[in-house]
Amino acid sequence: MTRKNSSHKPAGLSRRTLLRASAAILGAVAFPLPAIAQTKPFAGVTLRGASFQHRFFTLLQNYIPEFEAQTGMKVDLQLSAFPVYNQQANLELSSGGSAFDFVNVTFILAARWVAAGLLANLDEFTGDPNLTPAEWNPRDFVEGAQVPYRDAKGATYGYSWEGGAMVMGLSRMDVMEKRGLKIPKTFAELEQVCAAMNGADNVNGIVSFQLHHWCLPPYIRGFGGNIFRNPPTDIMPTLNSPEAIQAVEYYANLLRNYAPRGVLTYTEDQARQSHMTGRSNIFIHSSAWITPILLSNDSKVRDTSRVVRMPAGPVHDFPAANSQGLGIPKNAKNKKAAWEFIKWALSPEISMRLVKEHGHSSVCRRSVIESEEYRKLNTVNGQDLGALYLEVLGLPAKGENYMAYRTVKEFPIIGDVLNKAFEQVATGQLAAAAAMNAAQEQAVANLRRAGTAL
Amino acid sequence: MTGPVRRSASARRLVAIGVTLIVLLSPFLWLLQMSFKSNDLILQFPPPLIFTPTLENYASLWRSAFAASFGNSLMSASFSTALALLLGVPAAYALSRWAGRGKHALSFAILVTRMAPPIAFTIPFFLFYRWIGLLDTVTGLVLVYTSFNLPLVIWMMQPFFETVPPSLEEAALVDGASTRVVFLEIVLPMVAPGIAATAILCFLYAWNDFFFALILTRTNARTAPVAVVNFMNYEGWEWGKIAAGGSLVMAPVLIFSLAVRRYLVSGLTAGAVKG
Repeated sequence: MTRKNSSHKPAGLSRRTLLRASAAILGAVAFPLPAIAQTKPFAGVTLRGASFQHRFFTLLQNYIPEFEAQTGMKVDLQLSAFPVYNQQANLELSSGGSAFDFVNVTFILAARWVAAGLLANLDEFTGDPNLTPAEWNPRDFVEGAQVPYRDAKGATYGYSWEGGAMVMGLSRMDVMEKRGLKIPKTFAELEQVCAAMNGADNVNGIVSFQLHHWCLPPYIRGFGGNIFRNPPTDIMPTLNSPEAIQAVEYYANLLRNYAPRGVLTYTEDQARQSHMTGRSNIFIHSSAWITPILLSNDSKVRDTSRVVRMPAGPVHDFPAANSQGLGIPKNAKNKKAAWEFIKWALSPEISMRLVKEHGHSSVCRRSVIESEEYRKLNTVNGQDLGALYLEVLGLPAKGENYMAYRTVKEFPIIGDVLNKAFEQVATGQLAAAAAMNAAQEQAVANLRRAGTAL
Repeated sequence: MTGPVRRSASARRLVAIGVTLIVLLSPFLWLLQMSFKSNDLILQFPPPLIFTPTLENYASLWRSAFAASFGNSLMSASFSTALALLLGVPAAYALSRWAGRGKHALSFAILVTRMAPPIAFTIPFFLFYRWIGLLDTVTGLVLVYTSFNLPLVIWMMQPFFETVPPSLEEAALVDGASTRVVFLEIVLPMVAPGIAATAILCFLYAWNDFFFALILTRTNARTAPVAVVNFMNYEGWEWGKIAAGGSLVMAPVLIFSLAVRRYLVSGLTAGAVKG
């Protein structure tokens, strides 16, 4: 027996080992694999997205491998120049294409894309707790930045990744103080400061750039005018209203008398360069273009600069604001995977990492902008840039949506007309009233030609 | 005319030539000098004409995706030129030797394809390519450029073939040469300048195309002209890279033109007057 037992002992152990091993293998086969599948539900999916080149995406690309590891999907993000992207995405979406699973919803095209039904309704994703956890909180996005991505019924078609709030940068406070000048708070004071500063210490009073349909409307709104009669419902152009004519005259005078020569054709780069080197004192544009005078290592005026609210008009105080968003094309092949990506890219965690690790401050998550860490990083020379950014970005959602004119899908048509009319006035070819009367006629004709019922 | 007077006239002519050259070349020279400047210097006003040149713009250009785009341009322009010549030259020869009633109607029908502006074909091409999967491929671009260059080749080559006396071909045929041999070994060498001139025009069309490349490519088959525009970013234009890219885009055309310049002048003029 003993012998028999002893002789069978190895065999018994072997059988038990075999059974254990089999059970382990079966268990491994039966349970862990589905577990992996649950944690990587998008394994094998290639997600195709497109946007214009922007620092946000360049930085995001550093984190995308983490997202790919979490979800199992592969992200193919195609980045092109702003005009190239807009052209390609517009054609792709308008022709019902499915080449992209997610796209950048460019601010100037948002209204058209939303109105034409080219994008998927994201409320279907945020409203499903299985697809969006409560902590993602869509209401955390600054309301003003979300306005362009909503349709008339309030459905959401995009979430903003970049906010632009129009602020005023003053690069030569040292010279201003020497001359006893204060920061201008009204249009009248702005003109006075520009006049007093122009030519002092080789400084130009103000600088701007060629996108007049972005720079000019805040003055039109400030004087009490508008681009359309009552956008977005009534889009009859109102370019020849007395207020619009007054605004064009005012802004043309500023550039004609106090800006560098050739300012009408300046690009944003040229304007920023002139501002950052202290050759021009005032620059009024989106915060992302103005704050480099305080934050950039290339700035030669870091110690003499201030960034503040742009001056208010005699009637309204309506600084421009805009945003860029991410959305899903209506015919996208991988909508759920695309939502997973948008959810991740615009999560509070990634937004905060962008701020902390790269100083990228133009995010649109209120909780991030209001956080102590953000405030610390974006307070320069005692100026809380985050608070200013949040204040301006949120304004269009408070009371009247004064940026509605820019979310109207016909705005680009009017914008072109406005650009030409303004140049005629600024170069002295036409008086403001004549130019704006002609612009009004042209705008109405162009809209009718485009099939718009007025 | 006396010696000093002749010398003075010659000097005046040289000055006139020099001034004309400077005026004509100034955009190119301006672009070239920009490509050796840093962004700071490029935006400086008044622009400094004496500066320490840098190759940084060219170096960063080649570190970016521009190199691949340059390759795409080179491939699409070369292959489409070759394909258009391969198909168009025999077609032009056949048309020049055909005396049938439909000759003029057929020639006109071929030319009609060039009469509509490219924009008219863009959307159909885009939709069709998306359907058959040729979007964002070099093959797709080659086919588009070939389709546009083919009528040009056929129309440009016909007068060259018409200058070749048919008696030469008849003599060769009498000597026992086949039609293929007559075409390849007798006629083609005689129209070589015409082929060179046509090739340059085809290459230029494909190389300089922006519109079709913009619409029909994304990132894989992006060509150099579109890649240059890609340096116009939302947050600012990379002027140095745009200038360096623009200068590089000009280089192959310049080299190609120089390589065949011996044929080019005679080619562009020879076909104009039939012998």
